[in-house]
Amino acid sequence: MDIIVLIKQVPDTTDVKLDPKTGSLIREGVESIINPDDRHALEAAVNLKEEKGGKVTVISMGPPQAIDAISEALGMGADEGILLSDKAFAGADTWATSFTLGKAIEKVGKYDLVICGRQAIDGDTAQIGPQVAEYLRVPQVTYVCGIEKVGRKKIVLKRRLEDGFERVQCPLPALLTVIKEVNVPRFPRLGGLIDACGEKANIKVWNAADIGAQTRDVGLEGSLTHVIKTFAPKFKRQGEILEGESKEVVNTLVDKLVENNLI
Amino acid sequence: MLRSDSEKLVRKVMAKFVDEEVIPVATELDNKGEFPYHLFRKLADMGVLGIRYPKKVGGSGGNTTLYCICVEELARGLMSLAAITAMQCLMATDGLYRYGTKEMHEKYLRPAFRGEKIGAFQLTEPEAGSDLSNVRTLATKVEDGWVINGMKTWSTSGPIGSFHTVLTQTDPDKGLKGLMFFFIPADTPGFSHSKKFDTLGTRTSSLSEIYFNNCHVPDEYMLGELGRGLDVLLTILAEIRIMTACLAIGLLRAAMDDSIRYCKERVQFGKQIGKYQLVQAKIANMAVNLEAGKLMCYKVTHLIDNNVPCLNEASMAKYFTVESACSACDEATRIYGAYAYSMEYAVQRYYRDNRFLLYGGGTHEVLQTTIARQYLR
Ligand SMILES: Cc1cc2nc3c(=O)[nH]c(=O)nc-3n(C[C@H](O)[C@H](O)[C@H](O)COP(=O)(O)OP(=O)(O)OC[C@H]3O[C@@H](n4cnc5c(N)ncnc54)[C@H](O)[C@@H]3O)c2cc1C
Ligand SMILES: Cc1cc2nc3c(=O)[nH]c(=O)nc-3n(C[C@H](O)[C@H](O)[C@H](O)COP(=O)(O)OP(=O)(O)OC[C@H]3O[C@@H](n4cnc5c(N)ncnc54)[C@H](O)[C@@H]3O)c2cc1C
Repeated sequence: MDIIVLIKQVPDTTDVKLDPKTGSLIREGVESIINPDDRHALEAAVNLKEEKGGKVTVISMGPPQAIDAISEALGMGADEGILLSDKAFAGADTWATSFTLGKAIEKVGKYDLVICGRQAIDGDTAQIGPQVAEYLRVPQVTYVCGIEKVGRKKIVLKRRLEDGFERVQCPLPALLTVIKEVNVPRFPRLGGLIDACGEKANIKVWNAADIGAQTRDVGLEGSLTHVIKTFAPKFKRQGEILEGESKEVVNTLVDKLVENNLI
Repeated sequence: MLRSDSEKLVRKVMAKFVDEEVIPVATELDNKGEFPYHLFRKLADMGVLGIRYPKKVGGSGGNTTLYCICVEELARGLMSLAAITAMQCLMATDGLYRYGTKEMHEKYLRPAFRGEKIGAFQLTEPEAGSDLSNVRTLATKVEDGWVINGMKTWSTSGPIGSFHTVLTQTDPDKGLKGLMFFFIPADTPGFSHSKKFDTLGTRTSSLSEIYFNNCHVPDEYMLGELGRGLDVLLTILAEIRIMTACLAIGLLRAAMDDSIRYCKERVQFGKQIGKYQLVQAKIANMAVNLEAGKLMCYKVTHLIDNNVPCLNEASMAKYFTVESACSACDEATRIYGAYAYSMEYAVQRYYRDNRFLLYGGGTHEVLQTTIARQYLR
């Protein structure tokens, strides 16, 4: 079973701060990590490989320092890493990102599954998985929380809905986006991590030309959307969390509601 | 060629492990005083236990620097887990790796990397602490091997170890030149141990006396060449000291992290206590010592990785970082006020655990003496 995993390197915080002047992310002092959902995607892929044989390829589009995400993925058991890095990729919206990832997947060629995280903790759109599936013209199953049966031609998955679960059978090849309930990701093995940092590591770096993309189709130029302004919303309302024994908390809550003429 | 920096990545992975798996349970584990087998097995799965050794014997293909990064991060979480891991990676297995046969590697070394067998290292005897020339455990040559008689004390993992690297005397007339290390599996007839000691700190470690009563071992269990026992120790002495120094760095960081957090939380006289200059001085001292200590430690690990002799630098680093850690733990107990005295907070544990670092790898009186000797001769 050949599996491609798409991983994104993100800043290690869900509380991303924006520079009020420029509107861009403040990255100083914030460590980069593999997007949390993508660790689950990797674990799912490596598990399937361990069970069924085959190969796991990770692909990430990002600046040169995203090599660390690739190396860590190799430490977790991926066999090959591909970093898509080119100045021309900068400033991509989700359309251009999906196009670039799709092109790279086409270049890799053979695959039974593409696994993504559901959502990146920084960009937060949850669009990449579905868009890549559309680009590749393969079926997609999103919000996967369980991989139940894997055959040669089809796969049975459990996906989470707002009010329950859905069991889905899907032909292969397909694209999945997974949520954290799907598994518990392993810690990387240090031996694999050390190898990934060595000269002989199975890591490739591809630019726009390598994936056969024109610069007008990638990055800022290839983006259909244009960001006019980004800003941090001002929170006017301040929530209050009541702590303590439930009885005591309920009493305080009722008092407060009465005090504010709400009941 | 674009590649990641292995030191940075190993540290990042270990830090995540310590933050997620060790720190949340550390104080509870220490209060219970039981060896955390489940964490030890997880470290084995990550390849930490074989970090210093080449892949061909089942190791992870790392080096001394990566090893020291691992133990530093672990010591930030739980000193006893860090100390036993440090021992498993170095003192307990290095002789076995260097001088053991292929069969011994299969039977003991690989299982040690997998966390299935715990190793121990025995120098200390009731009459031989700093003074190893006084080791009295006797190894006597017999036709088909050696017979060991005697006892050791302060044996880390004595009650739970599967195999022991033991310093013995082969010829009392020869003093230091008669010393030899032997590999002694715990299931050798005649091997036994005392009850676990009740100790001030590192309470999840198991320490005891161990006894050898006519323990018979084959010739290949002698580690190294006859008469060169001291060299076996000297081969790894700088590494033992720098490892201990890195344990101290980890502990210093734990004490400092907790102190900084508390400085921002605790308000007295209407101000966070971190706003008072006398409290700031404590944080500044911790920070300066940490920075200096890191520079000393990782200078030495890189010297070791490049095969440059550096015992004196390693001794200085051990002396400096352990004294710095002791001071930081002391200051942390002052910053925390009475809460440092409560078993609920980790600060009391740091304060107790720091003592352990004073003795292993050489007492500071002995280290000061050997450091000064380099300059006064
Ligand atoms: C309207 C708009 C305009 C934008 N403009 C800019 C801009 O000008 N400059 C800029 O820097 N950014 C810009 N972005 C952000 C950037 O496009 C997104 O970060 C990126 O496309 C991924 O989307 P996401 O972070 O929402 O990922 P999601 O769709 O939330 O991610 C889902 C999954 O897709 C995969 N994935 C996502 N990104 C990657 C990747 N890079 N490599 C491999 N796998 C990946 C992962 O598996 C991830 O878990 C813009 C985004 C939007 C919506
Ligand atoms: C938690 C813990 C775990 C340990 N684990 C192990 C283990 O696994 N294996 C093992 O072999 N040992 C172990 N030890 C023992 C440790 O190595 C010894 O404590 C150490 O070697 C010092 O010996 P000692 O305690 O007998 O002190 P001593 O040598 O008796 O020293 C007592 C005092 O005299 C001073 N002193 C001694 N000689 C001199 C001198 N020449 N000049 C100036 N001052 C001097 C010392 O500095 C010290 O202050 C452990 C100890 C502890 C606390």
